[in-house]
Amino acid sequence: MSTSLLSVRREAVTVLGGRLTVEVQIAGAGAPLVYLHQAGGFGWDPLLRHLTERYTVHVPEFPGTSPDDPPAIRQVVDWSDLVLAYQEVIGQLGLQRPVLVGASFGGMLAADLAAHFPELPGRVVLLAPLGLWLDEAPVVNWNAVAPDKLPALLFHNLSSDLVQAVLQLPTDPEQMRARMVARIWAYGCSGKFVWPFPEHGLRRRLHRITAPVLLMWGRQDRIIDVQYAKEFTAVVGDCTTAVLEECGHLIQLDQPQLTMATLDNFLA
Amino acid sequence: MRITLFEQAPYRYLPADFEERFDSVCDTPYALVDPRRMYESMRSFLDELMVGARSGFDALLVTEHGQSAYDVMPNPDIVAGALAYATELEGLNVGIMPLGRTLGKTHEPVRVAEEYAQLDVMSGGRLIAGFPVGLGYDVTINNGVPPIEARGRYEENLDLVLRAWSDPAPFPWNGRYSRYPQVNIWPRPLQSRPPLWVTGIGNPHTMQMTLDRDFGFNYFGFSGAKLTGKRIFPRFWELVERSGLPANPYRVGFLQTIAVADTDAEADRRYAEHAEYAFRKGLGSIPSHLLGIPGGIDIQGLRAVFADPGDVGMSRQMRGASYRELVAAGAVIAGSPETVAEQLFAFCQEHRIGNLHAMLGFGSLPTELVRDNIQLFAEAVAPRLRRLWSDTDYAHHWWPERLGGSPITTTAAPAAKSDNRNERTVA
Repeated sequence: MSTSLLSVRREAVTVLGGRLTVEVQIAGAGAPLVYLHQAGGFGWDPLLRHLTERYTVHVPEFPGTSPDDPPAIRQVVDWSDLVLAYQEVIGQLGLQRPVLVGASFGGMLAADLAAHFPELPGRVVLLAPLGLWLDEAPVVNWNAVAPDKLPALLFHNLSSDLVQAVLQLPTDPEQMRARMVARIWAYGCSGKFVWPFPEHGLRRRLHRITAPVLLMWGRQDRIIDVQYAKEFTAVVGDCTTAVLEECGHLIQLDQPQLTMATLDNFLA
Repeated sequence: MRITLFEQAPYRYLPADFEERFDSVCDTPYALVDPRRMYESMRSFLDELMVGARSGFDALLVTEHGQSAYDVMPNPDIVAGALAYATELEGLNVGIMPLGRTLGKTHEPVRVAEEYAQLDVMSGGRLIAGFPVGLGYDVTINNGVPPIEARGRYEENLDLVLRAWSDPAPFPWNGRYSRYPQVNIWPRPLQSRPPLWVTGIGNPHTMQMTLDRDFGFNYFGFSGAKLTGKRIFPRFWELVERSGLPANPYRVGFLQTIAVADTDAEADRRYAEHAEYAFRKGLGSIPSHLLGIPGGIDIQGLRAVFADPGDVGMSRQMRGASYRELVAAGAVIAGSPETVAEQLFAFCQEHRIGNLHAMLGFGSLPTELVRDNIQLFAEAVAPRLRRLWSDTDYAHHWWPERLGGSPITTTAAPAAKSDNRNERTVA
């Protein structure tokens, strides 16, 4: 997606005692908001553009996914390192009680940040987050799915213009290869915390979250079944849950208008 | 030239329409198996390797694949142990070469060091030890290792195994991937250091590692050596030259599927159906996305593969490949002893190959035909190949002394540290 009409600046933040530098994309104006992106990478989609109208949106690029520093992921040893790194990033950016939004993989990270550091976020928005595990409803590991089968697992409204635009690869062969390499590497970097399970004990910590939480899930999520919403709702103290109809896993791309309206209502 | 016998241990009785009904040979439902026929498959496989041992092959090779119908070999050391003892009993001076225990996936590296050491003792110093990184699905899906950690785990485990073999004193190992308060294995290998081999698919990083550590380098020609050989071997020899090392052919092993009969026509008649089974219901039924799971190949490697995918040969066409196509690509070399010997000699000479790993049992090939293939190859093909490199002065440094090798006595491995957590880039 184009960033042509959006003014995006970048800031590099060094954390973990100098071991890791995280690139942060920043756009918009207003109160602070931190967005933690999904496993495959990041683009300024309609939801994020919408949020820039009222918030200063900060998007830390997942370690390894910044174009100039693919090996950065090797500096993040384990899940604890990752959670601490993001806490330090938010602290160094000087953000006071930002709205913390996380989608899918980023949702797992946002939830655990809020559980480790209950005072950190003002509010928390979780869009179909990973982080829990039910034997009776295994989360699909997208890293082990044939690439041609992935879109139907990620999206319900496959034919929508937005989803089609997201799935579209560049026609120039070199650009296409670069895009595919970047995407595979992004999945590989986040995959460090997906195998063997995208679950790092979050269930034991969820009760620590004190900020108000908005939890959104697509009824037709074929990566993480909607029944996981109940698991979060049961443990998180102040949780507003919204299940979106006709909606798959990547909520803000599958149902952008509904996602924006629900989020605006929560943040109002 | 050293000539070895290689076989995988496929279940030989998969249904004819397997590749239409099932996505993959890596998650085949065990309900397809008749236990009696599993026993037959395994027994035939072992019997055939012993036929090879008695027919004068220089070593017996097996690979490791967990949860796989095409190579029922969760731990090659069990088979290697059976072969080590049986060949000792019969006085057969043959190398035992697991290709071998996969260090990128293992959670028990000390167990690997112990098993290999025990094999070397049991065989009276005939172990030739292989250490592959491992296949994507086996590392990640069967063993839960994040693909991006496979290489780091491999390197750490390798350091640990080599030190466990050689350090005279008990030591603690506080690694990133495994931690042992004491490592002091019994027994230690009989050889001062068993010859070590690494199997690669063309990644220059892996090739260079074999040179830096003085290991042998194996390449498997499954994806069609006529397509890939001219890419892989010149790349290797260029690295050898750049490293200032002699171009010793014995540091290279090449694995080839081979089918020999009295005439070319007879070879086609005998082997076509079974070669198709081997590739369609074997390697061809490993989906490419389960080999290339994101994270397993670093970003430079991804860029190289996307820019030039030639190293994969005919892999992507294998699932529907006909016998003719397999032969045309060089995935199978078939024919009379003359035809086969001529092709192998030319190929090994061109690419300076000092160890030919002959895969003579494959797919659904009935055990009588496997034995014929082994014996005919041993009698009529191997003698024509053995003279290759015999007129050179190169010594075989990657072969056990008991079997005529001149193994490297000093370890070329970098010194391992008891606390190496801060000394390597993790993962």
